[in-house]
Amino acid sequence: MTRAAERTADGGNTVSICSLRVGTGLFGIDTRQIREVLGTTTTHYVPLAPEYIAGVVPYRGEVLSAVSFRALLGLERCTGANCILVFDGEQNEERFGLIVDGVSGVIELQQDSLEANPSGLDARSMELFDGAYKLPSGLLVRLDPRKLRPARLAESGLFGRSNRERQGGPR
Amino acid sequence: MDRGQQPDKGKVEDLTKEFIAESQEGLERMELCLTELEMRPDDGELVSEIFRAIHTIKGTTGFLGFSRLERLAHMGESLLGALRDGKLMVTTELISGLLQLMDGMRTILQLIESAGTEGEQSEEDDRELIAYLANLRAGCGECAMDKVRASQTRVPLDKLGAGSSTRSGQHEGQPEWPAVAAGSSTHDKTLRIDVEVLNRMMNHVGELVLTRNQILRCPPGSENFPELARRLDSVTAELRECVMHARMQPVGHLFSKFPRMVRDLAIACGRQVRIEFEGQETGLDKSMLEAVRDPLTHAVRNAIDHGIEPPEERVQAGKPAQGVVRLRAFHQSGSVVIEVIDDGAGISTELVMAKAIERGILTPEQAEAMTQREALQMIFVAGFSTAKQLTNISGRGMGMDVVRTNVEKVGGSVELVSSVGVGTTVRMRVPLTLAIVPALVVQSGGQGFALPQNSLVELVYVPWHEAETAVEHMGETQLYRLREGLLPLVWLDRLLGLGQSAGPVGSDFYIAVVESEGRRFGLVVDDLKAPEEIVVKPLSAELREIGVFSGATVLGNGALALILDVAATGEQAGVRQMAEAVKGVSTDRVQMGTALSEMESSMVIYESGKRRLVQDSHTEQMAMPLSAVERIESVLLSQIEYAGGRAVLQYRGELIPLEDKDDILRERSADDFSATATVLICLRPKAQGATRVGMVVRRVLDVSPGSLLAADAAACEQQLAMVKERVKTVHGDFAQWVDGPRTAAFREVA
Repeated sequence: MTRAAERTADGGNTVSICSLRVGTGLFGIDTRQIREVLGTTTTHYVPLAPEYIAGVVPYRGEVLSAVSFRALLGLERCTGANCILVFDGEQNEERFGLIVDGVSGVIELQQDSLEANPSGLDARSMELFDGAYKLPSGLLVRLDPRKLRPARLAESGLFGRSNRERQGGPR
Repeated sequence: MDRGQQPDKGKVEDLTKEFIAESQEGLERMELCLTELEMRPDDGELVSEIFRAIHTIKGTTGFLGFSRLERLAHMGESLLGALRDGKLMVTTELISGLLQLMDGMRTILQLIESAGTEGEQSEEDDRELIAYLANLRAGCGECAMDKVRASQTRVPLDKLGAGSSTRSGQHEGQPEWPAVAAGSSTHDKTLRIDVEVLNRMMNHVGELVLTRNQILRCPPGSENFPELARRLDSVTAELRECVMHARMQPVGHLFSKFPRMVRDLAIACGRQVRIEFEGQETGLDKSMLEAVRDPLTHAVRNAIDHGIEPPEERVQAGKPAQGVVRLRAFHQSGSVVIEVIDDGAGISTELVMAKAIERGILTPEQAEAMTQREALQMIFVAGFSTAKQLTNISGRGMGMDVVRTNVEKVGGSVELVSSVGVGTTVRMRVPLTLAIVPALVVQSGGQGFALPQNSLVELVYVPWHEAETAVEHMGETQLYRLREGLLPLVWLDRLLGLGQSAGPVGSDFYIAVVESEGRRFGLVVDDLKAPEEIVVKPLSAELREIGVFSGATVLGNGALALILDVAATGEQAGVRQMAEAVKGVSTDRVQMGTALSEMESSMVIYESGKRRLVQDSHTEQMAMPLSAVERIESVLLSQIEYAGGRAVLQYRGELIPLEDKDDILRERSADDFSATATVLICLRPKAQGATRVGMVVRRVLDVSPGSLLAADAAACEQQLAMVKERVKTVHGDFAQWVDGPRTAAFREVA
């Protein structure tokens, strides 16, 4: 289904997933796709930015846009402790950060326990999720960082209106 | 541009890259020498230099196995050899041929750079070019050469260009002059640095590492710490200076491509043009150099294409047949000024204005009121210049707005000065570097923002007790009276949707008066923080799209701050550009949101005190149409009599009432009865004829041309006039004296 899935196939049957908590849900991202996990970092709010961009964070001499996963899920913005995952962009894309409530740890999962997105999923979730692993305790929804790029989110038009619409035009 | 290189080639890759960079430099040098040679055909030293350069290239090509290049280089070498030995004479054809050879070689180099090979399929074209050059060497007759040139030379060049599709695609915009924009990506990405500078840099880095080690070992609260911090500070400063120095490139690098371009253009346009340089050693940051490359090319092209007249016309005008384009660079107060000066026909402001009116950019009234200098700046207005037909009429304007946009993008400015028959000067002013910008950190809505100093004009502090009276309203727009001018205000926090403060209620605030891209406005912020030198970091595309921020930076305290794009902020807030487009040009007119209906006439400017204002010292400048004023009299207070509580004056056998709205008479008489008052003897328009009236004013300041503003009459009861770029209130009763019938129409509308 995705390149990540193909890569894991030839490397054995298990895949290491970094599990994340956002709201009440459990999510996971392939550890090989994560560049770095930053501990509690304050993001700098950018006025007029799209809703799903929580702000900017300094990272190794760059300023990264940080996508708020809570905003993507339509949850309230969380002011408490959070974690930022840094992803490398594809080729010409910029690096970006993803803000989650917390990182639980890395777990090894059987590749074949992955189930594709069910057909009944709403458009937003379809856009965000990349299947789910069936854990004994519940589902771990897999995320694909490539789907979470700010540029891609902007293209999809599903998440947050543009600043101008929200502002009702320049005053 | 992508360099599609295979990673496994390693060493050869490096060698090739080096070779490309070197050869490109060599070609550039040769080109320069060739154009010089054309002017000084007897200079043997020049020929030798070109010969050496092409010989070097030939040697390397053979070594690396680029046979196509080698063949071309060999041809060039033998031609130059013949030239050196005196077997050939320098002719325009020969120089053109050699320059085409350079182009051919450059195209192959670009091909090597992008594809890794020199491409085999177009060898046929090389052969044609070589055959042509061989003809030249054989010194065959003129006619034969013409035939060959017509049939062949242009063809091989075009085909060579097509061989590297990526390259030719880039320059599709200028098919007439294929050689003009021969840029090269390797060249743009590499930089030659003095080993000495590199060593110094390395020393500083070593020092930096040592200091870091010491700081790491330093126990918390150590006495040593301030000392270490100081050292770190000085090392950082030195290192930065060193790196900046390394990035500085002489402007001459940029100039070096122009002789060739000027030559080709001059031939293509049928002009005789000489190019001169001044201040080639002026240093400019590498990135800045690249940023001004295109605007400069554009300006030079304009100068030749539209500025310099054909030789016959020049001779008729009593000028030498050969025109001069001068490129001049120099440092001025922290920025670099580059001027393109031509001694051509200049720009006729009448035609520019006629065109502007035709295109609906200006109303005839506006145009009439414009100074020559203002009219010239119309050329920079977007949309004005894109019209192709304009180039033939006004003599200029092809994409001048693009020039301005590009220069302003890097924080510079462009100005144009021209006088008909004498010439035109395009003056670009750019900062020394882009990477580090002095900025003022301001606070608004609880967040810090960096405001680049180059757009900051001044700062105004408004204390809380003045906050309410300081802001005036005119329709939707909020204005601040800055000296005599009205400044539109923009609340930063409201614009950004941060904390919806209802207005300046009870708290003090600051107004940062900013100006950029012809927009001048007051940015209202809560507080000012320290000025800082900030390092500009780019934002991601989604955030750039907001349009208000040009980047972000990390402040001294480790916090992030967004850098405001002043021009875009003004645009978002709806602040209109002033009629004249260029910063630094005297601004005689401000657009007041609504369209101007301007009627130029002389105005008497006088000062009057308004008791109703909070402070007694506050005086207001008013304007009175000169046509309404008969005389300005200095009257002794003792001469003024009172009848029925009203002040009257016997004036030339007539009793005229005095109008003293500001109680100046009472104020003066309290001081000294022998004091005088200034009285404007005016004609007040009445239904039948007019009656005289005396206006008591504090003092008369000036008489100067001004114009009445058709300012939003609903929002502002007073008539406003624009005099010397300042807004004046016109005495209500006399507004209609500003010029005749048109004013009457205006009154009706109002």
